[in-house]
Amino acid sequence: MELLLLFTMVIGLMLIGVPIAVSLGLSSILFLLVFSDSSLASVAQTLFEAFEGHSTLLAIPFFILASSFMSTGGVAKRIIRFSIALVGHFRGGLAIAGVLACMIFAALSGSSPATVVAIGSIVIAAMRQVGYTKEFAAGVICNAGTLGILIPPSIVMVVYAAAVEVSVGRMFLAGVIPGLLAGTMLMIGIYVMARVKNMPSGEWKGWREVYQSFSDAVWGLLLIAIIMIGIYGIPGITGAIFTPTEAAAVASIYAFIVASFIYRDMGPLAAGEDGVKSSLLQRPQALVTALWHEDTRRTLFEAGKLVITLMFVIANALLLKHVITDEQLPQKITEAMISYGFGPVMFLIIVNIILLIGGQFMEPSGLLVIVAPLVFPIAIELGIDPIHLGIIMVVNMEIGMITPPVGLNLFVTAGVANMSMMGVVRAALPFLAIMFVFLIMITYIPAISTILPNAVMGPEIVTH
Amino acid sequence: MTNSGSRIDHLEENIIALLLGIMTVLTFANVVARYVFVSNIFWALELTVFLFAWLVLLGASYAVKKTAHLGVDALVNMASPERRRTLALVVTGCCILYAALLMKGAWDYWAPYANLPPTEGRWFPMGFVEKFRGNGWYETQDIPVPFFLRWLEDVFNGGAEYEKLPKVVPYLVMPLSMALLLFRFVQAGARVWRGEIDMMIVSHEAEDDVAEAGKALAEEEGK
Amino acid sequence: ACDSGEVVIKFSHVTNTDKHPKGIAASLLEQRVNDEMNGKACMEVFPNSTLYNDNKVLEAMLQGDVQLAAPSLSKFEKFTKQFRIFDLPFMFNNINAVEAFQASDAGQAMLDSMQNRGLQGLAYWHNGMKQMSANKPLLVPSDANGLKFRVQSSDVLVAQMEAMGASPQKMAFSEVYGGLQQGVVDGQENTWSNIFGKKFFEVQDGTTETDHGILDYLLVTNVDWLNGLDADVRDQFLTIVSEVTETRNKESTAVNAAAKQAVIDAGGVVRQLTAEQRAAWVDAMKPVWAKFEGDVGKANIAAAQKANKASM
Ligand code: NA
Ligand code: NA
Repeated sequence: MELLLLFTMVIGLMLIGVPIAVSLGLSSILFLLVFSDSSLASVAQTLFEAFEGHSTLLAIPFFILASSFMSTGGVAKRIIRFSIALVGHFRGGLAIAGVLACMIFAALSGSSPATVVAIGSIVIAAMRQVGYTKEFAAGVICNAGTLGILIPPSIVMVVYAAAVEVSVGRMFLAGVIPGLLAGTMLMIGIYVMARVKNMPSGEWKGWREVYQSFSDAVWGLLLIAIIMIGIYGIPGITGAIFTPTEAAAVASIYAFIVASFIYRDMGPLAAGEDGVKSSLLQRPQALVTALWHEDTRRTLFEAGKLVITLMFVIANALLLKHVITDEQLPQKITEAMISYGFGPVMFLIIVNIILLIGGQFMEPSGLLVIVAPLVFPIAIELGIDPIHLGIIMVVNMEIGMITPPVGLNLFVTAGVANMSMMGVVRAALPFLAIMFVFLIMITYIPAISTILPNAVMGPEIVTH
Repeated sequence: MTNSGSRIDHLEENIIALLLGIMTVLTFANVVARYVFVSNIFWALELTVFLFAWLVLLGASYAVKKTAHLGVDALVNMASPERRRTLALVVTGCCILYAALLMKGAWDYWAPYANLPPTEGRWFPMGFVEKFRGNGWYETQDIPVPFFLRWLEDVFNGGAEYEKLPKVVPYLVMPLSMALLLFRFVQAGARVWRGEIDMMIVSHEAEDDVAEAGKALAEEEGK
Repeated sequence: ACDSGEVVIKFSHVTNTDKHPKGIAASLLEQRVNDEMNGKACMEVFPNSTLYNDNKVLEAMLQGDVQLAAPSLSKFEKFTKQFRIFDLPFMFNNINAVEAFQASDAGQAMLDSMQNRGLQGLAYWHNGMKQMSANKPLLVPSDANGLKFRVQSSDVLVAQMEAMGASPQKMAFSEVYGGLQQGVVDGQENTWSNIFGKKFFEVQDGTTETDHGILDYLLVTNVDWLNGLDADVRDQFLTIVSEVTETRNKESTAVNAAAKQAVIDAGGVVRQLTAEQRAAWVDAMKPVWAKFEGDVGKANIAAAQKANKASM
């Protein structure tokens, strides 16, 4: 009952245009002042604790920063060229290449909208030029972009790991097979549609183009290797080098170096008026000046701004989580659900529904912070693997991003493609069907999520 | 935009960029220390976490100024202009209430670590508590005291030596950021009142990038 | 849930409720308070760090937002450095010596030593003696040379690891299993119940039974809150606390012995030290004492040594 009141207030405030963070925070504070004896000081403490007590969340700013350097540094266009060289000659090849490029970029970036912006802004234009409809192009990218949070690294997974205290490294591994599977399903779907509708195919430019485009993209692709080998090591050769958080920081530094000194799309060596890039030999002082070059400052600031708005929502969502815990609501819900005799199947359906509805109102990370602690104890009680539950939640978030009225990717795609929201919604529909099939597979076949992390890291230990 | 306004903008942007930059370099340095020198900057993690908190909490007021906070605009966009202004005023009221309550909470939280009295009253500050325990002695876990902060010992610890940085320093961001937040919400409220803005939120993240990408695409199609 | 008129006692801790020694003790306390003090007091337990972690819970206690907590003894070093005695390596021969010291005048005085900073120690709760594990066999101190060990934040534990030529590393507890397995860190120190409970033994070459340190908890409350209780409520509550403490502390040795056996049964390697090997470890680590003697107090160290003799 109290819970209903609380959530009604949160949603009500959001709908009239109160910032999400304030909606969460204000509702929590008022609820706490009325129903509990905890002090306002404890609210301030909890807000600070969002950072101090969750050092795993540190991965978020670093992955956002790495992604910013990668986008600014023109890595996306090199990845796209490589993808087209590989699969562009199939029927519907450019669309398939778009999905592949999204998958590759997703392995560099922790966020879905970033993936849509980076890949979509180039691929949609290219698809229009060779004769695809705008709707089809938008629908493809809008869906494939959601892989940004399923293929590791993933900000949403970091948030889940922090909220329920499972290992980030394990969550990342769990996303690999589902990510590849979802990408493959989308590509097959496109291929079938392309054959039916007789869509254009590109020409095969030969292995030489594959090799050349690969060589050009390799500095970006190496980042994937750095992240994966850094976190997991190479069996029999090297152990891991860093924690997932540190991996993100290393990725940022690496991306900065690649963007400023190798690709030279930004920073002191970038092409000036004359359109010619300088080499480091010509301007060795760039090694130092790049640190405070306007492009560097700008990228740090833009990434910082994104971190602030995202983390302010998460910190306030953690405030709500604190209030929910303080009132012992998770225990009450668990008892109620167990006493109604819900089994795992029924429970997972309910989780899916809650998340799909919640995804209409909330930014995904914030939603996860609130829902995870409510459903986690029940899941453990029902013997559901915490990592499997995490992947289910991530896939739900993906779908939430492409369903109206509030779908982050819908909005971003509409902007990138110059289309109306409803236009994108209609365009995304056929692919949405594929994602729903995928959600059902993920929900009821735990092995898709757990087989890789269990093989690499041993079975998950449930300590709660 | 006035000149002093843009100077402050620039300052705030630089602080945001700098905090994120230091966090990244510090974490990277710790990896190098461990892997190359089999050593450890033991305090790096805690300091990075504090910088993270400062970045987001201080940045929250900048985001108010730039109307960059995330929100849901679907319903608001359907309302008539007059209704939107009314809604925006209600929204501003909520935001100010939020910041004011947090301001009291932030003070009550931080003050004891500065040996200052928290406020009386549950909702509203009704003067200062007379009897309280100062927590000026309470130190962070790992961060050493830099030489230029040794004066803290005289001010907050009765002259006794600190082994680690006292909590009064990192927690200062709470009252500081909440005061700034309150100030920015009041300012935004004035802009709503004057009819200069009718929303406290950006609808979605990445709006600038999106607009830019959309423009590029439009030009492409115009060719 | 609590009825109106009852004193609400919120107890926030960081472990599960039914497997970890601390969690079991907390659950027993909850059950007894809610049964025997019904109408007068009511206890709500928040396990698994859901409400506060060990660092924040003491802040919340000083604020009056939580009434009971049981952080590890290291956390109280910020309040009084006397508590460093429990982190000093080889200070206590075995858990009986720890028990004897805690029951002594010196140990009991430490319960009251934080009153001026707002805390009242109520009881020591045992976990047990700490063991050392790594990704290679540890038999003499030089085996640890150059290895990276995860330790809790504590100057004493940092100094201890440095004394054996190892590099102390900080890492969130939830990342330790992955960190050990993936080789980000090489080793760690913990009690048998934690080594088994967190499955650390699975990702280590083996565990050496060093018994080099102690991991205990202090059940603690806000001194003003305790003094503000009605005398009869306070007395009844404190009686239940001391009875639960006695029951559970007696179990702790068995719990750790069972955990050790479970490690062996699950295929974990457990190594014993010969007398000479152990002496080498003591020699390597004991210099740490000198560094912290001033913090801990000579009298406390003397009392600890007396407890060692008594428990031989
Ligand atoms: Na990703
Ligand atoms: Na949605």
